[in-house]
Amino acid sequence: MKWIALLAVVFCAAGLKAQSGLGSFLVTNDDIGPYVDPFFSTATFIAVSSDGTLGAQTSVSTGGYGIGGGYFGAARVLAMPNGADACVYVSNAQIAAIVGIDALTQTVTGTFYGSPTDSGTSNGIGMAANARYLYATYTASTTIATFQVQPGCALGFVGDVFAAGLNGGTVDGMAINGNIMVIAYGDGSIQSFNVSAGVPVPNGDEQYSTGSTNDHLPNGVTISSNGQYAIFGDASTTTTVEVSNISSGQLTPTIAYALGPTWNSGSVLLSPDDTILYVGNDSAGQVTAAFFNSATGVVSKGCTSNTLNGFYTNFSYVGQVQLQLSTGQGGMIYVPEFGSSGTSYIGMLQLASTGATCTLTESPNSPVADTKQGAALLSIAVYPVPPL
Amino acid sequence: MTGIDRLLSLTLACAVSAGIGMAQTPTCPARPSPGSVVNNPLTISSESGVLNAGFTLLSSITEGYLHECYLYQTGKGPAEAPTLQLNPGDTLNLTLTNRLSYLPPPPPGPARHSMMGMTHDRTTASNPCTGGTMVATSTNVHFHGLNIPPVCHQDEILMTDIENTDAPFEYSFQIPSNDQPGMYWYHPHLHGFVTLQVNGGAAGALILGGIEAIKPEVAGLPQRVLIVRQQFTNPNSWLPGAYQLTLNYQPAIAPLAPAPIIQTQPGVQEFWRVANASSQAFLALQIWFGTTPQTLQLVELDGIPLKATTPVTTIDIPPAGRAEFIVTTPAVGQTASFQDIGYNTGPIGNPNPAQELAVIQASSTAGEPPALPKAPASAPSKAPLRFAGLEDAPVTATRNLYFAEATNGTNGPTEFFITLAGQQPKVFSASAPPAITTTVGAVEDWNIQNRTGETHAFHIHQVHFLFLAVSGVPFASPEMRDTVIVPAWSGTGPYPTVTLRMDFRESQIAGTFVFHCHVLDHEDAGMMAIIQVNPN
Repeated sequence: MKWIALLAVVFCAAGLKAQSGLGSFLVTNDDIGPYVDPFFSTATFIAVSSDGTLGAQTSVSTGGYGIGGGYFGAARVLAMPNGADACVYVSNAQIAAIVGIDALTQTVTGTFYGSPTDSGTSNGIGMAANARYLYATYTASTTIATFQVQPGCALGFVGDVFAAGLNGGTVDGMAINGNIMVIAYGDGSIQSFNVSAGVPVPNGDEQYSTGSTNDHLPNGVTISSNGQYAIFGDASTTTTVEVSNISSGQLTPTIAYALGPTWNSGSVLLSPDDTILYVGNDSAGQVTAAFFNSATGVVSKGCTSNTLNGFYTNFSYVGQVQLQLSTGQGGMIYVPEFGSSGTSYIGMLQLASTGATCTLTESPNSPVADTKQGAALLSIAVYPVPPL
Repeated sequence: MTGIDRLLSLTLACAVSAGIGMAQTPTCPARPSPGSVVNNPLTISSESGVLNAGFTLLSSITEGYLHECYLYQTGKGPAEAPTLQLNPGDTLNLTLTNRLSYLPPPPPGPARHSMMGMTHDRTTASNPCTGGTMVATSTNVHFHGLNIPPVCHQDEILMTDIENTDAPFEYSFQIPSNDQPGMYWYHPHLHGFVTLQVNGGAAGALILGGIEAIKPEVAGLPQRVLIVRQQFTNPNSWLPGAYQLTLNYQPAIAPLAPAPIIQTQPGVQEFWRVANASSQAFLALQIWFGTTPQTLQLVELDGIPLKATTPVTTIDIPPAGRAEFIVTTPAVGQTASFQDIGYNTGPIGNPNPAQELAVIQASSTAGEPPALPKAPASAPSKAPLRFAGLEDAPVTATRNLYFAEATNGTNGPTEFFITLAGQQPKVFSASAPPAITTTVGAVEDWNIQNRTGETHAFHIHQVHFLFLAVSGVPFASPEMRDTVIVPAWSGTGPYPTVTLRMDFRESQIAGTFVFHCHVLDHEDAGMMAIIQVNPN
């Protein structure tokens, strides 16, 4: 118990140190492929002001290439404290690598590879992390690589495991809380792993979700702070999420919640206080907010934004929702907008909630263009983050 | 088609196939500029019961658009996608030489120049009837709406794979003598690449003569053949995005550019035959005098004469649908136009905004298009017209199907399903077993639900069907169709459903064929399934 408290203090102090030097920022994985730009893909850092508006941008070359798209449920960029450092990890799927960036100096700390057979060229490389390990899902090789988080925003490859869905899917969404890692395969099946020893060990609970028999295919996943529930966002022609009680350390059959007609709900994120479930309606250019009861796991209908400015003409999809704040309901809501003509954007929305009803409104100055031409935004991260 | 034309066309096909020294590499003909007069496509007609024609399928990017053209060589120069004019009972011999060369850039992620669901290893190296690794430069032809056998060299698309190095491929079949007179069309149907090739413009009309015998009100009227197509403004795009409609290959983008011009004599009746050869646009057509919609006399839908010619002001046509109607032209100096007033395709549907398709200019000096050709007098078929008595035929089976969708990411798998209730939803695979098996002689009622927030267009090959009801509300006088709109689900309440009566009584259609959504990017992404009709 003592060392946990000490660890918390260290992380808190580290976070404060990093924050004091950095301020809050949003970072993108621009995911630029070699056929778009002869130069390398980039991560773009965007300053976040206290009111959530987005400011100056700086692009950092990652020294490799992305693939310009892929799964909606996969996180291609992480921002996390690491000791005294604030680190950003960006996946470059074209070269099967994870690139570390020191957020303070905005310099690349290294390019880290898994095994020679790891490949993410089909649908990208997603990531999730705890304080000790970063996990990378390679969609072409159907593997999960484990990297030890090392000082200086470095990574050390530990090993691979093969992870495939019941219908041949590869890892789409992934989330970690404590010792449990929960995965959605995008083919209707889901699974959990024990990560207490680093390399994931299957919990023996791979199963089809309840919604999959009705064309609702889990894509993204988030876990409640109390570790009781895993919530899946479904690829579907409606906004559908599914909840599994994981308090036993294994997935239980999911309960599906229909939240409205809007197309696809492949990315999900709980607010830091676990009261709001944010859903990116990937193929509809909208965002949905639903109410979540972290004691019962019940999801109830909330509200859906209007179609975001520029959808269809300027951008084709929205990606993973992220939040300005690591407390409460998260403040400003950011959503990457996958550009359809070389420029991607970041949409900004605000939630007004009574606890029973809500509205989601796009900010007047939304969206903000990612100034890096060729960016193919599906993933963003915001720093600081809630404790890992 | 004259003998000289036929000779030229065959010579061209042979020369191209042999790769011998043509003075110039054939190219797609130039398309009309915005603001020019709309003319009927070139018509080539059967003679003595036979129509011989030779097409070369070519591709290029010109003027910022992908052109994939059926090139037909005439004595006066090349023409694109001519109208094939035949009569019931006639034979069509169409030689197709595939020389497509355009390979679009792959979408982000893995290469998609070949389709997993459509890969067969040819069992015979040079036999296009035995499949192959279907790629963007392969092709085949579907004769949409014709009720002919699903066999290679006729109307088979599952295994027919004509590659761009193959010798000229011969389509040869006889139109059933009891087939209904009307407008049909032809287009490529290579799974995975249909959107690409149809958006490139590879589509044309096929008209079966004799309508005036059933609808005497159209006899002798000037016949206007109008084909609405669609072209993506990004020629390299695999995804539905910004597009333009075209009318007989002329961009209809007013007010960005002058609208196409239809010139007519004032105050006369014309017979308009309109095909929606777009890949994904749902049309809602009107004729305006000023801004007032005019009454149109609707004569046929999908090549089948209506029981009664019907006055309407708006005609909805799904992708692949056809409508034939009588138009009374405006007076001299009267402002008039041909409008697509836009169509709401549902909460997640592609935008289908309103678009002026053409302005109509009446003058006493304007030339009228040629009058409807009169079908030659022939002995009446002993068989009743196809689909006769379907409305009262005993129903042998009822089936429930539904459209559904799921998208995992920008690179897919974008999963578009058409599923028989009770079966596991799966995207189309040519090697999958038939979703439905039935027998010649069957008459089935199919209830097709739309569980998605966007409109779909149901189509089945080889047969027409009787369109009975929408969401349980029956039509007082149901009509035959081969493609029908399945309305989008609003997100609440029951799923919209169409009820169709399928006619598998004709032994000619025995075999394996497909049904699918005719929003072509949906079909390319898997919203298609196989039916096997066994001989009785």
